[in-house]
Amino acid sequence: MKISSIRGWHWHVVLCGAVLIQLWPLFFMLSTSFKSMDEIFQSTLNPIPAVPVMNNYLYVLKNFPLVQYIFNTFFIAGIIAASKIITSILAAFAFVYYEFSHKEKLFNALLLTFFIPITVVMVPNYLLLSRLGVLNTPWGVILPQLADAMGIFLIRQAMRAIPRPLIEAGKLENAGAWVMLTRIILPLIKPSVIAMGIVFFINSWNDYFWPLLVLQDKSRYTLPLALQMFISAEGGSEWGIAMAVAVLTSLPPLLLYLSCQRFIIHTFMQSGVKG
Amino acid sequence: MNLEEAEIRMASHKAQDQGEQILSNDAYIQYAAMIKNAAKHWRRTFCEAGSIWQPVVFLTPATLVLFVFAYWPLLQDVWLSFHLWNMISPAMKFVGLQNYFQLVTSAEFIKIITNTVLYIVVLLLVNFLLPYLLSFMMAHLLKRFSFFYRSALFAPSTVSLAVASILFLWIFNPLAGPLSILLSAVGLESPRWFKEPVLVVIVIGLIIGWKVFGYNLILLLSAMVDVPKELIEAARIENASDWQLFRYIIVPMTSSTALYVFVITIVFGLQYVLVPVNMLTQGGPDQGSTNLVYIVYQYGFVFFQTGKAAAFAILSMVIYALFLMLKTKVLDKKVHYEN
Amino acid sequence: MSGIVFEDVSKYYGEITAVKGLSLSVQEGERLILLGPSGCGKTTTLRMVAGLEKITSGILKMGGHVMNMVEPGARNIAMVFQNYALYPHMTVWENITFGLSIRKVPNGEIKARAEKALEILNLSGYEQRKPHELSGGQKQRVALGRSLVKQAPYFLLDEPLSNLDAQLRLQARTELVKIHELYRPTLMYVTHDQIEAMSVGQRIAIMNQGVLQQLDTPDIIYQYPANTFVASFIGAPPMNLLQGRLCDGKLRIAGCDIKPPAEWQNLLASHSELWVGIRPEHCRLSDNSLLRGRVEFTELLGSQRCVHVRLQGDELVLCVFPAEQSAIEGTVGISFSWEHVNSFDSHTGCNIGRPHVR
Repeated sequence: MKISSIRGWHWHVVLCGAVLIQLWPLFFMLSTSFKSMDEIFQSTLNPIPAVPVMNNYLYVLKNFPLVQYIFNTFFIAGIIAASKIITSILAAFAFVYYEFSHKEKLFNALLLTFFIPITVVMVPNYLLLSRLGVLNTPWGVILPQLADAMGIFLIRQAMRAIPRPLIEAGKLENAGAWVMLTRIILPLIKPSVIAMGIVFFINSWNDYFWPLLVLQDKSRYTLPLALQMFISAEGGSEWGIAMAVAVLTSLPPLLLYLSCQRFIIHTFMQSGVKG
Repeated sequence: MNLEEAEIRMASHKAQDQGEQILSNDAYIQYAAMIKNAAKHWRRTFCEAGSIWQPVVFLTPATLVLFVFAYWPLLQDVWLSFHLWNMISPAMKFVGLQNYFQLVTSAEFIKIITNTVLYIVVLLLVNFLLPYLLSFMMAHLLKRFSFFYRSALFAPSTVSLAVASILFLWIFNPLAGPLSILLSAVGLESPRWFKEPVLVVIVIGLIIGWKVFGYNLILLLSAMVDVPKELIEAARIENASDWQLFRYIIVPMTSSTALYVFVITIVFGLQYVLVPVNMLTQGGPDQGSTNLVYIVYQYGFVFFQTGKAAAFAILSMVIYALFLMLKTKVLDKKVHYEN
Repeated sequence: MSGIVFEDVSKYYGEITAVKGLSLSVQEGERLILLGPSGCGKTTTLRMVAGLEKITSGILKMGGHVMNMVEPGARNIAMVFQNYALYPHMTVWENITFGLSIRKVPNGEIKARAEKALEILNLSGYEQRKPHELSGGQKQRVALGRSLVKQAPYFLLDEPLSNLDAQLRLQARTELVKIHELYRPTLMYVTHDQIEAMSVGQRIAIMNQGVLQQLDTPDIIYQYPANTFVASFIGAPPMNLLQGRLCDGKLRIAGCDIKPPAEWQNLLASHSELWVGIRPEHCRLSDNSLLRGRVEFTELLGSQRCVHVRLQGDELVLCVFPAEQSAIEGTVGISFSWEHVNSFDSHTGCNIGRPHVR
């Protein structure tokens, strides 16, 4: 009994160390953002600012169109998440509910796009978007991300988990495809759909690279993109301000995560299950 | 139509009943045709009211987007990689395999490949080996707090890589950053992390590691939890050590998920590298932090050599495809373990 | 006209045969039970009627029309699933009225039908509950109610009582029959429980390995099983099947020579080897015995006492007596009356027949 509890302690120490490494940077970011410039350099390691100040936040609000950035990010992430959910539901439903030739092949082809690296799509998509005249607009960011292979896969998994008799009972009632989808299937998989929507939202909120390629006007920047303005390659001195923007950028995803972490972790866990 | 067929059937039946022992040839042919026909129609009706259009309508949005923005670029890359072009000029020159040839023989190619391999090694250590061991601990060696650890370790995965980059730029700041203060406290001088050739790759690997660690951890954890408890208990009764438990039960039972995580660690890890490299080093010092993925961006959007960018893109796709094929092959062999 | 007719219907899943050459007809308004061990094809048969399984070959007619290619929703069928298949996100009321609202039945009509069904099923007051707030028996009745309101001419039930405990099942059985008498739809009912089959069914179709073994009333199936499978499947404890050999007009069973009555002689003459089937309750203890053996052990089955007797040829015979009879031990003689005997061909397993039945 005693030996086993000691052995347990051993592993707890390792894991607590890991938790410390993972959480300390976040905490450090938060505390730095409330420190005055002097304090940042004089008591860098102090976990709690001696005199918490809002200066950094006020400075950013005053000198940068921060609200505009937040709105831009929200707009792009919201539309992408909604669209990914809708297109994924429709496609997954077709795969679950209908029989048609080459079904498996099409499904695998769609799923494989998950593994096509950004390097491959970078140049051609940029050219395509410029031909469509949507460069430097939010639509340029949104357009290539209207559908998602992982979304199709996960929603199909969720739909497959519905007991078959429920679907068959609907069929016997002469329920058409649309009734079946909206009144039987969707209410049953609502939790996974919501969780997946949140995950999509977080991912596109955090997206840096594609907005970087598409958006040139500073007024159209998203938050992660705006972050770049607060650092220089040599390591600028405005750390408090940079950290304040970083906090604002991370807050929505972190809050979403904290409020429904069980859901979100479950959704992520499923994404590793290869069917 | 149904009635008509039924009538044929009835007629042939009647003929039989009236003492004709063998169906007349005609009736038999009709009958056979009818059965065949019935099977055909049946197949169609089962697919919802004989409408092929319904699934097409449902599938079109996702399929269109994914084909236009994922498969079409792949083809276009192949085409672009045979040309010399600066992305803007209307003149595009066909040069055959020249781009590939130059790419393989250039001096930076070796550097790119070594950097890429180094990235892969760091990423595998931080994002595969470490979470693998920790998830084993959490699933089978601990009885309590597993949920807390899981939630806490996952939190950084919800943060943007842009945030992570800027955060670690400050943490690793060689003059005033918190790490340099810690190092000077024990009498060491902080290296210029982002300016030293090999060091920069390791630091950027750690940034990716911080962000992705939690995600890979819960993927592996879900596989660990799926190992039947009875197997663990049976091994415990045999007095198996933790290591033996890990080696002889956990590793074989979680191999397919582990392989998946192994592959995505490489495939996605190299892509994540784009963000910190672009924000913090732009490939420097002296291309010391570039890799197979970032080089495509450099050639495409910094040097404006579209053909070479496309050639590198195809090269990266080929390497990724090899990893994916390896995964499928090994998985096919190993499925029996997890069934 | 709402009978169901199978004409040489087969169902294959790739190489596996689920149902083979099934021909049977269900009369309008009758209660037909599909009975058999698990994997015998009974559920597949039911699902083919519902249109949930494709028919590989053969013809299925309902109400005189070929139904092979008609989709499930157009067949006008009500079905109760084994696990009830209640929609967990809908209330009892919504579950019951869902099908009607899809079919665009007028609201007043929906209300009237649903209220009537709830009343019949004793579910009034539970309208706003969700399925997870109901007991097993209530869930089963909601499932029944959902089928009732459709007033469909065909009523299919797939092991509807298997998830209830024994006491509830007894009650639900009688309720089911009462409800059927009310509307008299054509009812097909799948079960693996022979007592359920006997008590609910007007006729029983017994299936094994995808093949129809016998289709008849419960009485006849019990007294006159078509083959050795039916004989051993129906009845608990099961029928004794003893190996017999005919020589010189005498039947040799387990070392005893028995002389069959005159009317049996002709019937048996063409079979040198056969199975003799005697129900345990038709065995009597007798000094003037036909068979002799030693009592191995005795089981008390409540109202009955079941005695296991080992015969000379090492064969085991079960005898059932009223429980009041005192314990039986040692060597006993067993006799039976020939009017209850069934005999089966030892190769085909088919019932040879009885002189006074045919």
